[in-house]
Amino acid sequence: MSTAHDDKHGEGERRHDLGHGHGEAAGPVVLSVSDRHPRVRTIQVVRPRSEDSSFLAATAKGLGITLKHFARNFFLPMRKAQARSKAGAPTDDSWRNEIETVQYPEEKVTYPERFRGLHRLMLRDDGAVRCVACMCCPTVCPAHCITIIPEESENKGIEKRPAVFEIDELRCVVCGLCVEACPCDAIRMDTGEHARPVEDRADAIETKDSMMGRGIHSIAVQGGEGPDWRGHGVE
Amino acid sequence: MTDVSNTATPGGGTSAGPVATQPSQPPAAPPAPTPSDTVTLTIDGMPVTVKKGTNVLEAARSLGIDISAFCYHPGLPVVAQCRQCLVAIEKNPKLQPSCQQSCGDGMVVHTTDPQSTLARKQQLEFTLLNHPVDCPICDKAGECTLQKLYFEHDNADSRVDVPKVHKAKVVDLGPTIVLDQERCILCSRCIRTCDEVAGQHQLEFAHRSDHEILTTAPGELLDNPYSLNTVDVCPVDALTAKDFRFTMRAWELEATPSVCNGCATGCNIEIHHKHGRAWRLVPRHNPDVNKYWMCDEGRFTYHPLREQRLAGATVDGLPAGWDRAIRIAADHLTPILTVSRPGVAVVLSAEYGNEDNFALARLAQAWGVGVYVAARPDVPSRADGRLRVADVNPNRRGVQLICEALGLASRPVAELAGEVRCLVMLGSELTGLAPGRIAELDVIAITTHERGAAATAKIALPAAAWAETAGTVTSEAGRVQRMHAAFAAPGQALPAWEAVVRLAQAVTNGGAAKLSFAHARDVFKDMTQTVAAWKGLTWARDVRPLALRFAGSRG
Repeated sequence: MSTAHDDKHGEGERRHDLGHGHGEAAGPVVLSVSDRHPRVRTIQVVRPRSEDSSFLAATAKGLGITLKHFARNFFLPMRKAQARSKAGAPTDDSWRNEIETVQYPEEKVTYPERFRGLHRLMLRDDGAVRCVACMCCPTVCPAHCITIIPEESENKGIEKRPAVFEIDELRCVVCGLCVEACPCDAIRMDTGEHARPVEDRADAIETKDSMMGRGIHSIAVQGGEGPDWRGHGVE
Repeated sequence: MTDVSNTATPGGGTSAGPVATQPSQPPAAPPAPTPSDTVTLTIDGMPVTVKKGTNVLEAARSLGIDISAFCYHPGLPVVAQCRQCLVAIEKNPKLQPSCQQSCGDGMVVHTTDPQSTLARKQQLEFTLLNHPVDCPICDKAGECTLQKLYFEHDNADSRVDVPKVHKAKVVDLGPTIVLDQERCILCSRCIRTCDEVAGQHQLEFAHRSDHEILTTAPGELLDNPYSLNTVDVCPVDALTAKDFRFTMRAWELEATPSVCNGCATGCNIEIHHKHGRAWRLVPRHNPDVNKYWMCDEGRFTYHPLREQRLAGATVDGLPAGWDRAIRIAADHLTPILTVSRPGVAVVLSAEYGNEDNFALARLAQAWGVGVYVAARPDVPSRADGRLRVADVNPNRRGVQLICEALGLASRPVAELAGEVRCLVMLGSELTGLAPGRIAELDVIAITTHERGAAATAKIALPAAAWAETAGTVTSEAGRVQRMHAAFAAPGQALPAWEAVVRLAQAVTNGGAAKLSFAHARDVFKDMTQTVAAWKGLTWARDVRPLALRFAGSRG
């Protein structure tokens, strides 16, 4: 009980010190120390007084930084260009490159090669979907965003294929585990496109057709009937 | 007549208790064998005493040593065909197949020595020579013995660089099964299953060497009432059930132990379910009832759980809430019970569990009204002396015992007395009653399905079906077996006994005892204290669904 009183007292002192600007070297007020780990302690939190928590000064400082960058972007490239023209070099628009802003959507930055973007479903040589609905990707998906309903294929060599393959891009956390899990190189995220903005949540669901539309032919070994794969069979 | 000793003993729990839920347990040891009946041997340095005649593989399993095997199945004759269970036995110059080797006194067996370990690894590589390894499209993936053993023993790439021998895929074997001859590892379990379980030799191997295939006789089909057991025993997925093929992956499913409601045999089953519905039913080992097997018809009994279900209470065919439906029922029943008691009758159902029937029978006893029993008619052609019997009602025996214990004279519903105007019925069918007579009656139906008499009932109250609620059923042999709730009932459906309790509490005809059951266990407790044959039975602990991805291989 007595400690509580002491702490209150101590807190008041610290507040006073804060207000007058000469800090206290003794450190925070320790309320309790863990027996097992002495470095684990409960300390008294010191919050600024209301007159200290006015953000006017900080706001002005922030505005100043913004203005500084604006001025630099505005004047420095032009000044450099003027310097170049004074030196007799041909005038050009290269000073624009020194401005960081990209005029999206007219200009687009190129994503790195391994950027994980919108999914696509890869195609067999005949344009059919490579996916065999093995359910590895919905199993591994941490966001449960993949829905596959399998069906029987007429092709006895392929046997199984997805009737429905949907990915909810709003749920997708773009982790890429589905691509890792796929045993058939059937799903990839290498489109280089990020998920599109949509007006309706339902529009964010990628269907089998939309993902096959982005699909390309894979060079990986293709299961099912074909000269290399199943040509050696007995009748 | 009543055989409950093995199934539910005092303090033990009914048969679907925690112990019996594990699949493929070896046959239970017989009671207290005399010393001369046993042999003691040493496996991997551990002494074990088993009954004479036990094979080394089972003895090792009793020690927790799982010797790999494809062709051995505890419910089938031993053929020692796959050579996957080779072990070293001291003083024996050659490795022995442990499934065929009987235990001898003083035998010293090694399962982890370099010689037998290498032999099993090489045998597995041999088995995998021409296996297509199409696990991504194989329904067995996740519960496949070959997959499991590959990860345990080999885990290396194939060393064969010549093309694999290809065989026929998607061979239509019969009405229930598709065969993939490439995946088959020729263990002959399915052949023996057809011989032993169905008593019909419909499968056989043809050709030789790596062209050997599993097939039926030319022009013949694999078509018997127990054919889908071959799919269960298949250690790979050479045989696939058309009913389950490509619907779910094994690792997505969860298993809840239950009892088949297809007929009066009461085969122990596992309900494999996910997303609030059952996807397949598989047999659960019970040495006293169904061993490792069940019939195909029983496997399909999960389909009606999703057909024509009543999801909300109705009054005169229009949707009504539970409260309104119960109030209208009570308003309707109370004056009839007060003025002309014989105008009301109660219909029990042999298709519903013990608890549901007992609650309604208790109500009939309290009201003092006539009791009738509705049951589906027998199908004499079903009886085959194996698992299938003529009585297709899961609980006819239970209803009979309940009525006897409560002193109620029950009659078939076809003999409904002419003075009855209002029926409180369990179930949806009034088998044997003329449609004209049904139209005259005011029916208050507590039913899972909206069909038959329940479709035209004045008031229909939705009930949970057998897979959706905890309860017990009594088999033809008098065995009381526990069912567990696998998934939620549709809509507003409640357990039927709870609907009975709600109805009983709403009807104020004076003098009738109020039913105060709060849980199926309460009903069960009252029931076991009332029915002499069930005295001492205990309510087994509720079982949580087991995710099959953690169950290991079921092969």
